[in-house]
Amino acid sequence: MADADPRSGGGRSGLSARILLGGTEPDPRFTLANERTFLAWIRTSLALLAGGVAVEAFMADLFGPELRRTIAVLLLMLALVIGGGSFFRWLNVERAMRHKTPLPLPWIAPILAAGGALVAAVMVVFVLVRAA
Amino acid sequence: MPTQGNTPTHGDAGLQPERTDLAWGRTTLSLVVAAAIFLRWMPHHGWFAGTLVAAAVLTALAINLSRRRRLHSAIRGIQQNAMVPDIASTAAVAASVVVLAVLGIYTVLFLPLT
Repeated sequence: MADADPRSGGGRSGLSARILLGGTEPDPRFTLANERTFLAWIRTSLALLAGGVAVEAFMADLFGPELRRTIAVLLLMLALVIGGGSFFRWLNVERAMRHKTPLPLPWIAPILAAGGALVAAVMVVFVLVRAA
Repeated sequence: MPTQGNTPTHGDAGLQPERTDLAWGRTTLSLVVAAAIFLRWMPHHGWFAGTLVAAAVLTALAINLSRRRRLHSAIRGIQQNAMVPDIASTAAVAASVVVLAVLGIYTVLFLPLT
């Protein structure tokens, strides 16, 4: 067989082995589940990215420039943190599975919740101020 | 190694390889949607927005071109009951999204609407 037994780590380059911090390969179904969860976070990040750009690009008639910028930058920064954080989440889960330790908490989840709430709060304040 | 035609088969009733392949497919669709929205910036920001469109589309294309390899590696992983996690793919996609977000923030804050 061309590729070495992945359980021994022989098929992996030294760099990958160092990034994964050794351990033993977990059940491949868990590795695939981790990958899908990572992709779900990436799509969340892409949705925030598209939302941020859409606010800036399509809302010129509705919002003033300051509000538009604020909402757009908040959404894009959230996309940045969720997108970058999703990789480290994936990596930390992979490492935990390889060492059979408890899975780390998803710290990007509260960030997403707080960020979403913050954007909503800015919108509520804007609507109230404009109505007054 | 069992195969049907050119495709290796596996005995996972949870259909993990197929679901993971579809998750990558949905991600390419999200990237194309993001690229379509970046298009709206092109009349205002020209080639700079074009770079964002190209980056998103190229990432989607790269994922699509490597889907078959990733699917087969997942099926082999199920067959052998061990697989090497695909660090290169996850790191590349996350890096691409981070770059798109940074360029997006730069566009909003520093490029005036023309």
